[in-house]
Amino acid sequence: MSGHDHDHDHTRTVAPMVDEITDFEVLEIALRELCIEKGIFTAEEHRRFTEFAEQIGPTPAANLVARAWVDPDFKALALREPMTASKEVGVDWLEPTGFGTPSDFTAFSILEDTPDVHNVIVCALCSCYPRPILGNSPEWYRTPNYRRRLVRWPRQVLSEFGLVLPEGVAVRVQDSNQKHRFMVMPMRPEGTDGWDESQLAEIVTRDCLIGVALPKAGVTTNVITYTRPAIHPIP
Amino acid sequence: GSAVKRNTHHIHAVGKGDPQIFAGKAGEARFKVGDPVLVRELPALFYTRTPEYVRGAVGEIAALAYESPAPEDETWDRQDAKPEWFYVVKFDMATLWDDYTGPDNDVLRTEIPERWLVPAT
Repeated sequence: MSGHDHDHDHTRTVAPMVDEITDFEVLEIALRELCIEKGIFTAEEHRRFTEFAEQIGPTPAANLVARAWVDPDFKALALREPMTASKEVGVDWLEPTGFGTPSDFTAFSILEDTPDVHNVIVCALCSCYPRPILGNSPEWYRTPNYRRRLVRWPRQVLSEFGLVLPEGVAVRVQDSNQKHRFMVMPMRPEGTDGWDESQLAEIVTRDCLIGVALPKAGVTTNVITYTRPAIHPIP
Repeated sequence: GSAVKRNTHHIHAVGKGDPQIFAGKAGEARFKVGDPVLVRELPALFYTRTPEYVRGAVGEIAALAYESPAPEDETWDRQDAKPEWFYVVKFDMATLWDDYTGPDNDVLRTEIPERWLVPAT
């Protein structure tokens, strides 16, 4: 459009928010509008699921672990009836549909670390993750790289996250390939005597709950892995 | 979405959850915790959720997981498929990977429906 013989008012034209709409976005809009038009779901349902997905995160899972560390009865409940314990930290696994989310199911299991066993989770088939209590999965968790390698070289992968386990500690990899979703309950670290629940919850990061990191006093953010520069960079 | 025919079984699960909706429908479990099992080499044309890396391997039942139709049926929406028991099966890493470099007590656990398992001798 180069001519200006049309009659719209340029002072009232809103600048586009993005330079280009991707193919993915075009298809997303087409699919969503068709589904709504055909009654497969409603615009209201779409909004409800989006809002559900926006409010999930790792905080309830961290609170659950912190409470289990200070309350042995709650810890026993968490290991015996994980979905009942989830409710105590504000997560009802039957939300948002009344039968759970369609892709996360309602078979939650908490894997307890011991001095002899360290747990770490993966979904080698795709990216299954306990989203209702842990939020959305990290990007690296969904990569073919992590999925292919963790089941076979767990110690090497963990060492890339900065977690080197002694040989006396068995690695237990849990592949979540069916309806169960898993979360790790790490051991309470040293240097946290007398801490209250909220202090403890701060050091239980998402990465600790997946099993690629251990909680540590003073560390309240996820692992940052430094990538090596390419040996033969492409100019 | 509630008027969509293929959502019917989800609506039935309201208040119960999935896989709880299938509880009690698989009959007696063939295996118990501690049983050694061999993963069968079933054909996996078009769909399966039993990983290739455990096929033909011997593991041990670590837990009875739940009852559910197998994913090979559920993925094609075969609503008349009989639910079966799922098991958490534990494998020694060294039995899965010839060149496993970690210590002998490293393990991998994964879930497998009953049809894929036979007793190991």
